[in-house]
Amino acid sequence: MFKKVAIVAAGVFLLTSAQMTSAQSARDYISIVGSSTVYPFATVVAEQFGKTTDYKTPKIESTGSGGGYKLFCAGVGVEHPDITNASRRIKSTELEQCQANGVQDVVEVKIGYDGIVFANSTKADSMNISRKDIFLALAKEVPDPNGGENTVPNPYKTWKDVNESLPDKKIEVLGPPPTSGTRDAFVEMVMEEGGNSFDWIKALSKSDSSKYKAIAHTVREDGAYIEAGENDNLIVQKLDSNPDAFGIFGFSFLDQNTDKIQGAPIDGVEPTFDAIADGSYPVSRPLYFYVKKAHVDVIPGMKEYLNEFTSEMAWGPDGYLVDKGMIPMPDAERNQFGADVKDLKTLESVD
Amino acid sequence: MNRKIETESDVVIYPKKTMDIVKRGLARRYRSERRFKFLGLSAIVASLVFLTLLFASIIGNGYTAFWQTFIRLDIYFDPHILTKDNLSRANYPGLVKSSLHSLFPDVSGRRNLRALDGLVSKGAAFELRKMVLNDPELIGTTQSIWVTADDDLDMLVKGHIDRSVPEIARRISNLQLSWIDTLSDQGRIRKQFNTAFFTNGDSREPELAGIRGAAVGSFYTLIVTLLLSFPIGVASAVYLEEFAPKNRLTDIIEVNINNLAAVPSIVFGLLGLAVFLNFAGLPRSAPLVGGLVLTLMTLPTIIISGRAALKSVPPSIREGALGIGASKTQMVMHHVLPLALPGMLTGTIIGMAQALGETAPLLMIGMVAFIVDVPGGFTDPSTVLPVQIFLWADSPERAFVERTSAAIIVLLGFLIVMNATAVFLRKRFERRW
Amino acid sequence: MTEPQSLKPKLKPTADGRVSRDNRQTVGDQFIDNPRMTCRDVNVYYADKQAINNVSLDIGSNEVISMIGPSGCGKSTFLRCLNRMNDTIDTCRVTGEIKMDGHNIYSNEIDVVALRAQVGIVFQKPNPFPKSIYENIAYGPRIHGLVENKTEMDEIVETSIKRAGLWEEVKDRLDQPGTGLSGGQQQRLCIARTIAVGPEVILMDEPCSALDPIATAIIEDLIDELRQHFSIAIVTHSMQQASRVSQRTAYFHLGDLIEVGPTSRIFTSPRHELTEDYITGRFG
Repeated sequence: MFKKVAIVAAGVFLLTSAQMTSAQSARDYISIVGSSTVYPFATVVAEQFGKTTDYKTPKIESTGSGGGYKLFCAGVGVEHPDITNASRRIKSTELEQCQANGVQDVVEVKIGYDGIVFANSTKADSMNISRKDIFLALAKEVPDPNGGENTVPNPYKTWKDVNESLPDKKIEVLGPPPTSGTRDAFVEMVMEEGGNSFDWIKALSKSDSSKYKAIAHTVREDGAYIEAGENDNLIVQKLDSNPDAFGIFGFSFLDQNTDKIQGAPIDGVEPTFDAIADGSYPVSRPLYFYVKKAHVDVIPGMKEYLNEFTSEMAWGPDGYLVDKGMIPMPDAERNQFGADVKDLKTLESVD
Repeated sequence: MNRKIETESDVVIYPKKTMDIVKRGLARRYRSERRFKFLGLSAIVASLVFLTLLFASIIGNGYTAFWQTFIRLDIYFDPHILTKDNLSRANYPGLVKSSLHSLFPDVSGRRNLRALDGLVSKGAAFELRKMVLNDPELIGTTQSIWVTADDDLDMLVKGHIDRSVPEIARRISNLQLSWIDTLSDQGRIRKQFNTAFFTNGDSREPELAGIRGAAVGSFYTLIVTLLLSFPIGVASAVYLEEFAPKNRLTDIIEVNINNLAAVPSIVFGLLGLAVFLNFAGLPRSAPLVGGLVLTLMTLPTIIISGRAALKSVPPSIREGALGIGASKTQMVMHHVLPLALPGMLTGTIIGMAQALGETAPLLMIGMVAFIVDVPGGFTDPSTVLPVQIFLWADSPERAFVERTSAAIIVLLGFLIVMNATAVFLRKRFERRW
Repeated sequence: MTEPQSLKPKLKPTADGRVSRDNRQTVGDQFIDNPRMTCRDVNVYYADKQAINNVSLDIGSNEVISMIGPSGCGKSTFLRCLNRMNDTIDTCRVTGEIKMDGHNIYSNEIDVVALRAQVGIVFQKPNPFPKSIYENIAYGPRIHGLVENKTEMDEIVETSIKRAGLWEEVKDRLDQPGTGLSGGQQQRLCIARTIAVGPEVILMDEPCSALDPIATAIIEDLIDELRQHFSIAIVTHSMQQASRVSQRTAYFHLGDLIEVGPTSRIFTSPRHELTEDYITGRFG
């Protein structure tokens, strides 16, 4: 009995190690890593690509933007991913890291936009809110309500405390944890802008950036802001069962659940498809992917995958990515990036 | 209790006293006994209630996923579209669309036509393609075919979309509702068993998504885990229990094995990333690496249960073997090990069941990924069942909610089968000494 | 080895000619002509605790020697020294000399596996292997390589079971599990299992204590028959059994061998007061 098991185990080992060497010398599928925000869009493209061509369907890991850059920049070779998705632009330090590891030529592709919505249950009234209101409701330290250029721990309990015109309801916001790209974007586009509405805070961004960040980037921890984990579906469910609460998540989840939740207009603009596409809705972020140029001719199907992603059928205003909730770029921008992809124009530097 | 009975009166008094004391205490004793029984029983009832709730909610959410809505379309396999040299790349979506359009000839305008096309799944075109490639004779004929409906239509038919909410807040427009009702009146809509759920890999279209890829990935991963962890675990248990000298070193080893059993599984994932991927250069996302990592995770369980099983073999059997001149190895291999094997198998199956439900360590080695193709070997990129559940739970489409629950039902099914096997083995081979 | 002995008090006869209770030196005929095994100054320690104290005893050919004594007197420990079963206990240490065929069985030149083939043992509780009756018997000859083929094996199995007086009861169900037999049958199966290896000495450690009187009687008859082929050392709690089956009897008390002699004399006129106390039931 044991001899048999041992023989089988040894056999499997030999077999797999033989397989392994072949897997190491060549990879016949595209390996993609990166942002969980881009994941739902990239996977649709990958599936379409896999079904309509003879190439294998690319493998897509959801590692987060930062994790994606780390893996992507680790080096050139089949053991490293070919493409990384990102919900923010690559940082210059990350690009340097890439180059230090031999990843010289990187092609940057912007694919569209994602809106971040501030939403509540359709069972409750919608609330027209400004970024300043959100900042005052959610920051850990807020400017002294009595005036003066100093901050006090956030005293506001209800929305009415923040702004007389808002309803008298407890502040209760479900949002992503600090590890999430959505949180980064939210802090940058809402909290910072809200803070900037106070001149003296805005001035701090030039004079004392660490103090500025402490004010504008720090979310309160006294229970008014609830970190709800990375699962946006969970936030939707919780909003459905608690009409007093608001949630922060990506537009695609609003798009899929319009019967349960509604997006609050921010600075007077409703989070609609069109408002995000034309840039009038203030809380939207660009989505990217980055391609390792050295892999384009090595891994089969790379060019075709890029073609599929940048085709009008996919990222165009009527494309299937739009059905999944992505906001397309304006025509000019689309043409620009489409042409860059065709030429495999490499990214020289980022500011 | 050295009460000596010395006088006559004592004869009467002492026993009476004892009985009185005992009787007085009896009620209290029984009360506390009842209280204890009640507490135990209510604990069991509480856990059963929670278990039932869990099962009820999962099954309630998930059972609908085992049925899928289909639409009957009369497809004309147009020989002008399906020419000999482009059979695999022909415009199959066009066939579906023209058939739909012919059902509602008065629909016009790009937007409306798009809405109409949206009733049928993107997968329908691939279904037609497969049919034509299998049987080119179909070209030129018109066939009545049940094709997969889109997930929104599916949700409507299953009652997950409420017709009463205003149109603006609904995934299905009033126009689409009227078409669906027409189709339904014509008997062109029906639900049938969702075979795709068991034969397809992952997909971003809920109506096409299946668990086959994840199930096969789990299978390969568990095979690697079993082939490595069982022999290594059994050999370690036998050596530690039967042969190793009892000294400080073996004490340290024992403490460490027990510690390993309690280490959070993510740590094994980090170890796997460092050792198997970065150092040994094994491929990412492969069942081979997943199996190696899960082997590390299940080994302590198998070794500990294996040692317990070896310990439970009575010394009389060992003495019997030694007494007629068996060497120590012969004693272990011929008598002790065969008797301990059922217990070891039980431990192994429980360890495997644990491994089957694990996601955290696989995150680190790239098995949390979107993988459509069903893996064909130990080094193909693949994912596993619990990871598939995790990924679906995070998808925005409403229809993934029921599929998530359905996948959980399947996983629970596997776990129940494995644990039942363990119980059966224990019952079947258990010996009373 | 003489020093510890000298520490013992001198023989102090009592008024009726018996050796006093204070005395721990062995009295009687511990040595015989043509012994099969010879034990000299055997001491056994469990960690720091001494369990056997300077025991010297001969075991003769074709005789049954019984070892009696109160619980914890060391008789089982001593018996288990004779085929080194005590080796399995880590803390157990044996000094002195136990010789068989001129070799000390505790010396390096003697292999314990070979020794146990020569000196078999039957335990207190019947412990057949959870295998078929046939396999129970065949296991020993197989691991020692005593047979060439199936016919020889069948022969050994049959003669062993016959010698153990079990053949008529089991000949039709050799393929059934040995654990399915009754207690007495199981014990005879264990005896047959021991015989099958062809030992010269058989040690029996209270072989009947788990059996009913009828099964006990059968085993006792069997022991008497086996005496023609083997030397048998039996530890027993029952003085009646000792007197029925053995030719010589050795009385142990708290690790000391108190008195050895022909069974009939030990039970009729013990020379040591402790022996007398025991056999007359004053303690034990």
